[in-house]
Amino acid sequence: MKKYERITAIFVSLGGVWIMVYAWHTLKLGSIHVPDAGFLPFLCGAGLAILGIVWMLILQGTREQEAKGPAEKRLWHRPVLAMLLMLLYGWAMEAIGYVTSTLVFVIAWQKVIEREKWLKTMIIALLGTFAMYALFVYLLKVPIPPEFFAR
Amino acid sequence: MDIFAGLINGFSIALSGTNILFCFLGALIGTAIGVLPGLGPAATIALLLPMTYVIGSPVTAIIMMAGIYYGAMYGGSTTSILLNLPGEAASVVTCIDGYQMAKKGRAGAALGIAAIGSFIAGTVAIVGLTFFAPPLAEFALDFGPPEYFALTTLGLLLAVTLSGGSIIKGLIILFVGLLLAMVGLDPISGKIRFTFGSIVLQGGFDFVTLAMGVFGLGEILYNLESTLKTEIVTTKLGKVFPTLKDWADSKWAIFRGSVIGFFIGIIPGGGAVISSLASYAIEKKYSKHPEEFGEGAIQGVAGPESANNAASSSSFIPLLTLGIPGNAAIAMIFAALMIQGITPGPFLVAEHPDVFWGVIASMYVGNAMLLVLNLPLVGLWVQMLRVPYGILAPIIVLFTTVGVYSVQNQVFDIYSMLFFAALGYGMRKLNFDPAPLPLAFVLGPMVERSLRQSLLISGGDMTIFVTRPISGTLVAIFIALVIGQTFFFIKRKRGWKKPPAT
Repeated sequence: MKKYERITAIFVSLGGVWIMVYAWHTLKLGSIHVPDAGFLPFLCGAGLAILGIVWMLILQGTREQEAKGPAEKRLWHRPVLAMLLMLLYGWAMEAIGYVTSTLVFVIAWQKVIEREKWLKTMIIALLGTFAMYALFVYLLKVPIPPEFFAR
Repeated sequence: MDIFAGLINGFSIALSGTNILFCFLGALIGTAIGVLPGLGPAATIALLLPMTYVIGSPVTAIIMMAGIYYGAMYGGSTTSILLNLPGEAASVVTCIDGYQMAKKGRAGAALGIAAIGSFIAGTVAIVGLTFFAPPLAEFALDFGPPEYFALTTLGLLLAVTLSGGSIIKGLIILFVGLLLAMVGLDPISGKIRFTFGSIVLQGGFDFVTLAMGVFGLGEILYNLESTLKTEIVTTKLGKVFPTLKDWADSKWAIFRGSVIGFFIGIIPGGGAVISSLASYAIEKKYSKHPEEFGEGAIQGVAGPESANNAASSSSFIPLLTLGIPGNAAIAMIFAALMIQGITPGPFLVAEHPDVFWGVIASMYVGNAMLLVLNLPLVGLWVQMLRVPYGILAPIIVLFTTVGVYSVQNQVFDIYSMLFFAALGYGMRKLNFDPAPLPLAFVLGPMVERSLRQSLLISGGDMTIFVTRPISGTLVAIFIALVIGQTFFFIKRKRGWKKPPAT
């Protein structure tokens, strides 16, 4: 954990410096009498740069905390896969239409992330797609992307 | 309009057919989603924010959002008692004695006293809100840009320091939130900031995408990692209505919880979490049988649950009177008001009395509704906890994705929500409290505008913030807070480095 926190602290500091440069160079700071668009971003960037350094110094002086009891096994690949599926879903919604993409998305989620059986997967996919369609299209009148075969 | 006339007007609005229906729906949906572990009030309101776009009337939209908020606050206690898993942060202490009561077959009594305590405390806080908010709003009419700058920065600092997490991490999130709020057109000079050539970003990030990403999807992604299986401790709830002895044991805990919760809830950043912790500590300290705490003492449920509900109602005071949201969930309601074209603040009571009094009156109605709804429906909420997360997660993802798309009908919003989801997930992995992010995001424009206007007014003279009485007082509190926090930080660090006594 400490390693990741140190990397994040470095990113925070570097990000802060970059924001300061961007605010000063591109946005312009103006003067204390007439502050310009870069004035507050510059202060926020400076704040981030300083906080990143302070965080690193604190991490330097503290020891890694030992976990109490057996650590819970965490499956990091599941959120990564979920993010990828959601990205594809966002793209597919406009490319192939709302209903088809939603159906495919729920099937993919159940098979790839939850590793469910086909019958349960299909029931959840059909019910989920129908429920969302009924709620957003019929009830809330949201205009959704049309299906690719109906364009 | 005096307070009583305003309240009567508010009841005439809140008791109209449509508003009663949406108040009921809000309380019902809020409780239903709040019951689900991992989804607290902020996430619940975030998920349902797009709904406010389709509700035409601002009063109705805000009545529904308020219902969702206190419904979700109540829903959190159910998971604490039955699963030993807090539905939201404010219910953490309810786990201690609530779960023990459930193990002893008294889950019904724990859920019942939580509902009754929440109702009483919520009502006490709303009475306080009714009489406290209008004079405060009148007082705030004298506020100029320096006062607003001092107030917003103090509010943000309090939100960070009172959150209980790392102050450094809280401040980092605060600055990130302020910077995210600056994306798009600068409101004063019209310059384009942080858009990197993207035309869609010129309007800035939408609050809905940020809220749904960080609180809704971020939560889902983090929960997906978990391999823990939660089990309901009991299916037999026992009697839901507390006995006379339970009532006698709890009544003072409820009263104290209501008062503590009301006052802590007014402080920005104070809110439900601190009030429930404070209430539990006080109940244990002044109990004749402190040894019963942790073993299923009913006061350990009644006090904190009353306190967190009182705090959630009183946290509307800074929102409705000063335009300052004190916590993440209230920041969502702030956004819902803005979506409806209403700016919360001291002018709200004069310019939109229907919204101001309608919402307050609806809270009386909603609180009573929540009590009627929750006691008989406890069994239903227990059944809801049996729905596997594998089914809920994709449904919530679909809901958020279409919800975000529906706001502006553009796929870009889905991508920006995914960006915020990744940010929210990363924040949880690194133990960052996400609460200051929406607060900084919604207050960012006010902070920047008031700072630049103050400097323009004073011709660059920074003493404008200390020479005016109200802003001077707020700045003094700000400085005292910074000095106090620095002092405690150094003291703690020195304590660590002290060699152990041999």
